[in-house]
Order: sequence, then structure tokens, then C-alpha cells
Amino acid sequence: MISRRALLGTGAATTVAAAALGGAALTHRLDDIARSVGIKPHPEPDPSDSRLLARVAADQNSLLAMVEATAGAHPALSLDRYVSISTSHATAVGVAGSVPDVASPSTDPTTAVSALSSAYAKAARTRAGDAVEAVSPALVRVLASMSAGLFQCADAIKGVR
Amino acid sequence: MTATQALQGWLELEHESVWLFPVIGAQFEQLAERARRSHDAHLRTRDHLLSRLQVLDIEPVPAKLSYAVGSLRTPEQAIRLARRLEQAVAAACLTFAGETSDQDDQKYAVKLLRRAAEAELTWGGRPRAFPGLPSQP
Repeated sequence: MISRRALLGTGAATTVAAAALGGAALTHRLDDIARSVGIKPHPEPDPSDSRLLARVAADQNSLLAMVEATAGAHPALSLDRYVSISTSHATAVGVAGSVPDVASPSTDPTTAVSALSSAYAKAARTRAGDAVEAVSPALVRVLASMSAGLFQCADAIKGVR
Repeated sequence: MTATQALQGWLELEHESVWLFPVIGAQFEQLAERARRSHDAHLRTRDHLLSRLQVLDIEPVPAKLSYAVGSLRTPEQAIRLARRLEQAVAAACLTFAGETSDQDDQKYAVKLLRRAAEAELTWGGRPRAFPGLPSQP
């Protein structure tokens, strides 16, 4: 799994500032999302999906930054899997062109992991609502699946020591 | 695939779950409590799906007398079977969520997708980026 920093290094990253994704750009983004997770693309983007996708991308990139910051601050914790999953999520919806600002993780590992679990749970609930809000069936499925993966992370990360 | 076909496909897996988990619980005492909780959850879902199909005036796919699940001789095999079934249920929930145009049905499918994904963990699974979607490790 290529890390976000590596992606940025290749210049292949898309920018979340493309929050104003136009119709054609959104079509490509949704097609990419659908293909990346094995769904046949559905070539009829809805304008509301554009706004939703931009918000999801911003959220997921912030979460990725938080996970990366925690992994960097606590290398003894085995957070590779979580970095990988969050990178997959951010890659699916659009990797940020710059690292979002996030609060420094707690120096206490237990508190830091607890904060990550809460952040995953919050993102999971939000993505579940987003899935129902989405118009494109491909986006519905990607966001619903992403939500389920985030709930898994929220649960499983509690066991990280 | 239509929403009805997706719903029926999901129901088939719920029938199988309602059959499998008591078998696991009966064969492996150490898994009995976990299997009972899974069975209770799938029973509720099966009944909900049956009710939904009844409201839609659609004949539900019937349960089989038994299911060819393969070897079930060790707890490890039972755990693997349970995990795979929960993964299949997650995929069915997701397919239905993408096919239905009814928002209440969609909310229900997304909620039950979460349950299946969390159940996957209780049966030895590890978190994945996109539970229920194809081509996911």
C-alpha cells in the first residue's frame, strides 16, 4: 500500500481543494472510486454527490493525518494496518494535496489509542449517514462499506497495545 | 440485479445463518455463547426481511433443510465458516443498499452491514478498508 506521503511525492495526489469538482471531474472521481473497489462505474453523477464527496475527502484526510501522527508519535504501537486502511479510504475519495492540521496526539499511548478509536467511531457514524445521502449507487456502496470498515477500526484498535 | 433479487439473496444468507450458528454452538461448547448471540441477531434480521417481503407482496425464498458448509470438525473450522458467512452477509447488505431506492431499506441495510462487519471481528476477522466490497483482502 502506497502511503499518502509517497503519493504526494509522485505528484499523483488529487487535491481536496477540488472540492469544487466539476461535472466531468466528478464523473472521473466516481468512476475511479467504483473501479478501485470493484464496482462497475455508473456514469451519471449528481451535483449533490460532488459536495458530499468533497466533504468526505476532507474528513478522511483529517482522519488519516491523525492516524499517521499517532503512528509517528508512538512507533511501538502496531498501527500499520490502520494507516493502510485510512490511506485506502483517503485514496478512494481523493488524497489531500497537503497534510491537514491535526492536534498532536497524546504522549500517553492508551489515551492516544482511545482518541483514535473515538475518531474512527465518529467518522463511521458520519459515513453511514453520508451513504444514505448519496445519489450514485456506487457512492452509496463505497461510503456504506467505508463506514463498516471504520466501525471495525474503532472496535479493533482498542486492542492495540 | 434488482433490489428484490438483492433482498432475496440477503434473505438466503440469513436462512443459512439461522441454521449454522446453532450447529456451531451445539458442537463446540467454547463457541456456544458467541454462536447464540450471532443466531439471535440473524434471527431478528431474517424475520425483518421476511416481513419486508410480505409487505411488498413477494414470495420469500424458502429456507433449506440443511446447508453444505463443508467440514465442521474443529473450532477453527467453525470460526472460519462463521467469519466467511458474516463476510457474505456484509456483501449482501451492501448490494441491497446500492440497489434499493427506499431510504428506510437503505438505512436498514447500512445498519446491518455494520453489524456484519463487527461480527466478522468477533469471529476472528481483522479490520478491512471496505468490508462487503469485492476484491478486498
